[in-house]
Amino acid sequence: MIVIDTWLYGELASYAGEDAQPGFAQLKIELPDGATMQDLLDEIDLPTELRGITFINGNLSAMPGKQHDLTQELKDQDRVALFHLRSMWPYQYRQGAAMLDSFNDEIQKDGDRGIHHAFNG
Amino acid sequence: MWFLRINMKDRTHQLTEVPEKYKKLAGRSLTSNLIADEVPPLAHPLGPNNKLVFSPGFVTGTSAPSSSRISVGGKSPLTGGIKESNAGTPWAWKLGRMRIKALIVEGQPEDKGEFWGLVIGLDKETGQPTLEWFDATEFTGQDAYDVYPMVFKKFEGRRVSVCGIGMASEHAYGNAGVIFEDMSQNPSRFAGRGGLGSVMGSKGLKFILLDDAGAPGVEIADKELFDEGRKKLAAALNEHAITKPKGGLNTYGTAVLVNILNEAGGLPTRNFSRGRFENAAKIAGEAIFDGVKERLGEERYNHACSPGCIIRCSNTWYRKDKSEHVSCVEYESDWAFGANLEIDDLDTISELVKLCNGYGLDTIETGVTLGVAMEAGVLPFGDGEAAIEMVHKMGKGEPIGRILGSGTGTAGKILGVVRTPAVKGQGMPAYEPRAVKGIGITYATSTMGADHTAGYTIAPEILAVMDDLDPLSKEGKIALSRAFQATTAFIDTSGHCLFIAFAILDIASGYQGMIDEVNGVLGTKWTADDILELGTEVLRVERKFNEAAGIGKQADRIPEFMHTEPLPPHNVVFEIDEETLDKVYGEL
Repeated sequence: MIVIDTWLYGELASYAGEDAQPGFAQLKIELPDGATMQDLLDEIDLPTELRGITFINGNLSAMPGKQHDLTQELKDQDRVALFHLRSMWPYQYRQGAAMLDSFNDEIQKDGDRGIHHAFNG
Repeated sequence: MWFLRINMKDRTHQLTEVPEKYKKLAGRSLTSNLIADEVPPLAHPLGPNNKLVFSPGFVTGTSAPSSSRISVGGKSPLTGGIKESNAGTPWAWKLGRMRIKALIVEGQPEDKGEFWGLVIGLDKETGQPTLEWFDATEFTGQDAYDVYPMVFKKFEGRRVSVCGIGMASEHAYGNAGVIFEDMSQNPSRFAGRGGLGSVMGSKGLKFILLDDAGAPGVEIADKELFDEGRKKLAAALNEHAITKPKGGLNTYGTAVLVNILNEAGGLPTRNFSRGRFENAAKIAGEAIFDGVKERLGEERYNHACSPGCIIRCSNTWYRKDKSEHVSCVEYESDWAFGANLEIDDLDTISELVKLCNGYGLDTIETGVTLGVAMEAGVLPFGDGEAAIEMVHKMGKGEPIGRILGSGTGTAGKILGVVRTPAVKGQGMPAYEPRAVKGIGITYATSTMGADHTAGYTIAPEILAVMDDLDPLSKEGKIALSRAFQATTAFIDTSGHCLFIAFAILDIASGYQGMIDEVNGVLGTKWTADDILELGTEVLRVERKFNEAAGIGKQADRIPEFMHTEPLPPHNVVFEIDEETLDKVYGEL
């Protein structure tokens, strides 16, 4: 088994039930070895389309409309942060920040090199 | 349109039509050009040869959405360079409607103890600005939250808006903002950065009141085009997830960024020694929204800082007894007193914000300077009570308070702190350059010193400046920073709030709407390229002034410790070299 340090922000905190605090929730989620981001979302019953900006260990892994991290394998003690769709991270404050290579590859395919707030799939 | 010059040596004034050279300038482009043209670069910022210029943007005072911004310009006592600091406030809207394109405050009284209040109205017959003076000495040495109601009471029955300074400016601090009223007549909207409040104080000017009764409103050359633009921009703001009613900013305020930057490892913590604060979620925008809901028993969405704003991002924090504590707790203020000082209590953070407003201190500069003082052992990290006590000492002008009031760079030198997060003497805002490299380039090179509002991304067209460069390569980051700074200078000229950028970046018709609005007011046919060029020219003017003031490329540097101390959790340093940084303005 692996344990994922899972942070849910804003309205997503409601998926933590009684563990929710004002504005956020932190859960320790147990998953089988080899589990992926999709498995984590399934475990907490969170539809992927309700999450926006996502981090795995401080590396940007998803934004609204770009969720190619669903197959990303998670490791024991990974910190996963899931944000609601009203969150934001303007480009000037994220240019050069850490992101998963797979996410960066996807962004580079985008015509506008990822400067937007959201993507159309 | 008027140029109104006030000479504080003898309280005389001069009213002229706008000179031809300045007719197509406004906001930041006008304040910076006037300062560059009229202030000797080596003038002392607090001496008689510095000037303080107020200018509304092109569309400020019209029905253009989210556009009630006032630019304040002068030579900065904090950086020693040119400074433009802007705020959203009803005062800006009124100055625009009164057709005062520039209010230029010059000279200073021979008696340093004098403080005056000025009321600018309009003559009912000629429509020309009129001036009334009142002795404001009785209002000095007091909290702005006590003083502002007294001023409104004094002019009861008139439609006045108030711009003023607090005790920090009376003490001539490098950290002292110009205070404007919010929509509830509180002293909470600041042109905070760079010490321009002290420039106003050095001229013996405590208040500038605007009475816009009979104001003709902004002259619009092409009403049809303006209306078309206004509707396009309003539609974009009403549609975009960040700017729409009950969207990101209206719900969570700018503090929505706290959790994001924290997760990214880019939230400066404990005086820029870490990039993540373990208790960030307790002070973030989401916690503010839920905390207010818990205390009031109902949801509260945010409000506008100024007339005509669609975004409405200003939050309010309430005490346990449901009374209003302060508005607003911005991302920068929240971080400066929160993560940066390791304080995780919103009541304490709100109190610190309120004290800064009351004393006329800039919250960013105050929080960053307190972080340096904590590093020096003057007070402990995480000690909210000690922080509150220290801000009182700053406001009251006690010796240690005066040292901290001088700003981050100076305080760091006096206290012998190597880890002093400042560029050109100005304290660094809430994005860690080691974790977010792009903003680091802008911090280093901006004409304003470390400034998080100097380089916004406003349109995908900007990518055209990069040719085939990778935006994450060094060359790509340089090209983008330069373009971001130029286009931001234009937004600060247009009179719009920078936050329209979130919507117009994603919705092309909104971007065109902003351009149409400006062309509608001016009767111009500017294109996106013209905007970039106008903004670039503003940067050239500012840069030239700074170089003549002794602030050249050697000042375009990130503090040394950021090159050598790895920042957890990513354990990265800022590795953009000097040669690369020099290209930002070297190739302007």
